[in-house]
Amino acid sequence: MSKTTVVGASPVRVDGLAKVMGSAQYVDDLDFGPGLLHAVVVESTQAHAKLKKVDISAAEKAPGVVRVITGKDFPFTFGLYMHDRYIFPQDRVRFVGEQVAAVIAETPEAALRAAKLVKVHYEPLPAVLSLSDALKKDAVLLHPKLDTYERVPWFYPQAGTNIAHWRKTRKGDVEKGFKQADYILEDTYTVPRYAHCPIEPHAVTGLYDLSGRLTLWASSQSPFAQRNVMALALKPLGLSHRDIRIVTPYVGGGFGGKAGVSMEIIAAVAAIAMKGRPVKLHWTREQEFMNTSQRQGVIARVKMGVKKSGEIVALEHTLHWDAGASAEYGANVVNAVGLSATGPYRVPNVKIDSVCVYTNMPPCGAYRGFGYSEFHFGLESHMTRVAQAIGMDPVEFRRINAIREGDTLAYGAPMNAGDLQGAIDQVAKEIRWGKPVKSKKSNTAIGKGLACFWKAPAMPPNASSAAFLKFNEDGSLNLTVSGMEIGQGFLTVMAQIASEVLTVPVEKIRVETPDTDRNPYEWQTVGSHVTWSCGNAVRAAAEEVKAKLLATVGRARKLKVKDLYLADECVKSRTDATFSMPFREFVIDGIMQPKGNFIGGPIQGSGMFMPEFTSALGDPATSQGGHPNVHYTVGCAGVILEVDKETGKTTILKAALAIDAGKAVHPELVKGQIVGGIVQGLATALYEDIRYAPNGRLLNPNFTDYKIPTALDCPQEIVPIILETPQPDGPFGARGVAEHTMIACAPMVADAIADAIGVRLQTMPLTAEKVALALRGIDYDEVKGDNLGFCFRGRPCDYSFSIAGQ
Amino acid sequence: MSIAHEFDYVKARTIKEALQLLAQPGAVPLAGGTDLVAWLRDGAVSPACLVDIKALRELRGLRVQKGQLWIGANTTFAEIIESPLVQKHAPLLMEAAGMVASVGIRNRATIGGNICSAVPCCDSGPPLLVYDASVHVATARGVRKIPMKKWFLGPRHTALAKGGLVAGFSLPIGKHAGAFAKLKRYRGEDLAQASVAVRVAAGGEWRVAYGSVAPRPLRGPKVERLLKGVKSPDDALLTKAAALAESEIAPITDIRSSAIYRRLMVGVMVKRAIQMAAARLGGQGAAYGVHVLEEAGS
Amino acid sequence: MKPITFQLNGSARSVWVEPNETLLDVLRGKLGIKTPKEGCGRGDCGACTVLLDGKAVRSCLILAVEVEGQSVTTLEGVGQKGPTALQKAFIENNVFQCGFCAPGVILAASALLAENPKPSEAEVREALAGNLCRCTGYEPIVKTVLAVAKKTARQSTSRRVRS
Repeated sequence: MSKTTVVGASPVRVDGLAKVMGSAQYVDDLDFGPGLLHAVVVESTQAHAKLKKVDISAAEKAPGVVRVITGKDFPFTFGLYMHDRYIFPQDRVRFVGEQVAAVIAETPEAALRAAKLVKVHYEPLPAVLSLSDALKKDAVLLHPKLDTYERVPWFYPQAGTNIAHWRKTRKGDVEKGFKQADYILEDTYTVPRYAHCPIEPHAVTGLYDLSGRLTLWASSQSPFAQRNVMALALKPLGLSHRDIRIVTPYVGGGFGGKAGVSMEIIAAVAAIAMKGRPVKLHWTREQEFMNTSQRQGVIARVKMGVKKSGEIVALEHTLHWDAGASAEYGANVVNAVGLSATGPYRVPNVKIDSVCVYTNMPPCGAYRGFGYSEFHFGLESHMTRVAQAIGMDPVEFRRINAIREGDTLAYGAPMNAGDLQGAIDQVAKEIRWGKPVKSKKSNTAIGKGLACFWKAPAMPPNASSAAFLKFNEDGSLNLTVSGMEIGQGFLTVMAQIASEVLTVPVEKIRVETPDTDRNPYEWQTVGSHVTWSCGNAVRAAAEEVKAKLLATVGRARKLKVKDLYLADECVKSRTDATFSMPFREFVIDGIMQPKGNFIGGPIQGSGMFMPEFTSALGDPATSQGGHPNVHYTVGCAGVILEVDKETGKTTILKAALAIDAGKAVHPELVKGQIVGGIVQGLATALYEDIRYAPNGRLLNPNFTDYKIPTALDCPQEIVPIILETPQPDGPFGARGVAEHTMIACAPMVADAIADAIGVRLQTMPLTAEKVALALRGIDYDEVKGDNLGFCFRGRPCDYSFSIAGQ
Repeated sequence: MSIAHEFDYVKARTIKEALQLLAQPGAVPLAGGTDLVAWLRDGAVSPACLVDIKALRELRGLRVQKGQLWIGANTTFAEIIESPLVQKHAPLLMEAAGMVASVGIRNRATIGGNICSAVPCCDSGPPLLVYDASVHVATARGVRKIPMKKWFLGPRHTALAKGGLVAGFSLPIGKHAGAFAKLKRYRGEDLAQASVAVRVAAGGEWRVAYGSVAPRPLRGPKVERLLKGVKSPDDALLTKAAALAESEIAPITDIRSSAIYRRLMVGVMVKRAIQMAAARLGGQGAAYGVHVLEEAGS
Repeated sequence: MKPITFQLNGSARSVWVEPNETLLDVLRGKLGIKTPKEGCGRGDCGACTVLLDGKAVRSCLILAVEVEGQSVTTLEGVGQKGPTALQKAFIENNVFQCGFCAPGVILAASALLAENPKPSEAEVREALAGNLCRCTGYEPIVKTVLAVAKKTARQSTSRRVRS
């Protein structure tokens, strides 16, 4: 890679001033005048029931109400990968909190009061609230018409079951592999659901104007995907892409929760119902938990066979996912894991079954890590246990099996570059692996844990990015892209890439959040892929601009383009050191000729990027033959923690994480992702804990009882480590890092707790309560009580259900 | 989210006016509002009128009078933490106040409101119990004093009769030490999974109270009797105290904790709080205001 | 409807409000003050933090009618004369990510430094513990507040020495 000056530096964020001065606008900060209407939804009180009647007569007559809409008005389905989500339920409700109707009123108070007047008549159906219920023979079906839903060709729903998708990956011969093994360990690991908890809840204002134009101002990670999903869903109303516009100002955190479409479509149809007047839908924190998307829960069965030498010879990894009431997005999480559940290891014989199961729980979708955090908990816990069982150091065991460039992945394609060995070495050194620490207090014990991770972006093979660049009179630039600034620093990184090519300083490049009318296409801001994908588009746009700068000067000054180059915001010449043409002198007005005419014109450029080598069309029975993933980012994390043997409380003394970023375009932002990801990951490992009542009602849809970390809940020390093995097709060698930083947290904590006190926990979260009880020989699942059940009721590690039709 | 319920709002200028207003049906006093406004949003309460009592002089103030520490009902938790009088005469209350929610709430929430909300996990309950505080209730017929022990009747249920208004608390003053331990799901703001307050006077008179382990905050007479006269309890006694503590509570399983974890942790907390209190009595131990449960491990 | 008058970012403002309108709703909906955000509506997250007579409070748990005659400061008021030293440091250190919690964090930190110019790390963490941030892991926020406090303390000491 060539030497860079801006890429690799850590300039001030382009959005820093606006955010710190309070001028950054989020959706709810936009004003729509006195004509603004407010929508409030009526929520299902039932987990599963036939919808007999939705009586809106009293609500319609309530003061301030202008309209009440239901599934009768908008009988459409939608979805990102499969159309199994309903704008409003038709014949049945599928989870507690599902929107049954929306009341539109002049004030939010009037809408709230009227929503209570909507009478919904249900005929209860048996609710499917656990995976075993969902998978049993003659199970009650959530989606009897599953086989009729539109979907992408690489999803395999099983008609007549609650299985929305089943990804099978087969490599080598797993039975033969186990026969070669000297030691086999098989066990089950359970990960419950989690909530994203961006501090900004979902909010949308929609306006369907009198010309038939639908504009949505949305807090979104995916403006273009939203436009596409809505255009497809609302086609029966005569709407098409050209009629729909999504404007996304700053977003107050996403973490995957604002990807795809959830409540936004309710605002869209409310606006359509109220042609000519803007309608606002603002989710409460409770609704943010209940009716957007959650992270799927999973029960994972891991069977691993190893040689005495430490070489893994076979892996069978079976994962059953609690997708909730619709799997339009969640099924792709399941798919991604089905392709990658070997973890970052070389395994010759692989059998992965990743099964997406409908339940009468809130829908799930993308969440930072996209399934990888979930499967790494079991896999990495298992790695340590297998190593210990064969008398090998768990870190050495990982080194032996760590994946390298060129190794054959589970689905047959070759592994990309990435320094996993280096990451392991650095983290092991940082936490002084192999050197036990003794606590100075009698009531605490100190333990260490280390876990590896990998993750690839999960995208359709034709997911693409585009960028526009244009010069202004003063030589400053406007860069438009449609990746979303969700906090990660995307806008700054794009400005750096343009700056690197064009020599215009970052502070002179304005990058704004998207408007689908004005900004070029971006598939979605998910999968930690926009630095790589959109970065390539920005680089291409900048190269086009550069070519125009050189060509214009060459033509106007009759110079050879090959002698010209850019430096310090000027076009300069290699053959004439005195020649210098500042951009600001010609990028709009052109270059005057002796006769007084001008050559040139406004200089602008565009760029696009699509990974043309990918394909999702592998063999459904084995996943061999396709090339579904663009590349993996690898890394390793370690922890030193102290456990109070009486209370079970864990104190994180030190956490270190090394990740191979390819090229850290903005090292400070990469470190920000590492620190933020570790704190979020440790919270899911230690105390975040979503709870459902036996009737499917979410018990803690608030920060009072769903605890996310505060400033008092950070590790005493965090060490971020960046490795740089260039990604050949990345902008300046960069690849994504943002989601990855939380993936290793749960297994490394489980390992460290086991190291400290000898208690191995296989169900997340690893709460103080669970640890304290385990130390006293009490199984938490025996005492947690009925109303504390999540989707794996009873004993979560019971693996009693069979996999039908395997 | 807005408050859908509609109500009147009156700011009372005198205690007499407040009492008259509160005698009306559906009238509810508003102090810091940190519980009440949240309940209004949730639709958990639907009062006809909120009587703002923040301007009432009689409900303010922190002073020593007649050998007692007077704490006005409108005193915020932030004021309690900062008060040199509380630090001197009721340090245990200061320690507990520091564990109430977060700064933004403590700047607004009042001790009177906390005692009147009377949730089983209220942080000021156990310390006021071990201080043998009296609740001063203003009524149309004059001030009534209710001993703290008789104040809590059940979850969100107190000895306050309709029309009465809590004016403040009086705490007997005397040389003592104490410790407040709160079990939380993490170090950040949390409602207590369980809490323990321990107070010991110079002569070895011990008082113990628990929160979040019964329908109401309650005293621990068995542990108190066990420790009577002891100044520096040894390990054997601490173990006995822990077992007795576990036997005199009635925890339930709810979203914040299983009953058994609550029970076991009350044992641990009693041990650690007694240790800390004894150390403090002897001029040792951490300064008040620490997280006793985390600091006191040995 | 009741008329109320209070000081908002240094100027007297009058507005008609219903008793059931929170200070947060009135600031955002009637007075064009958008930096206090609604993150939870029940006092858990701190995104709606404002300063009431200098103290950090939750504007979602205060009725607008209650602030009659008092003084309310929001982030709009803090930066009126350009960024404060704290704001400058937050910008330079690339502290915030999504920025939604930033107004509340900056107000809470400003109130802390006004009361306690030399806080310990534990005091900074305690003062900010009621302001939830899902992005940063808090480390850059805490470090920056401590650095600004240290710098300010040094400057004020050196001023004293000169005079």
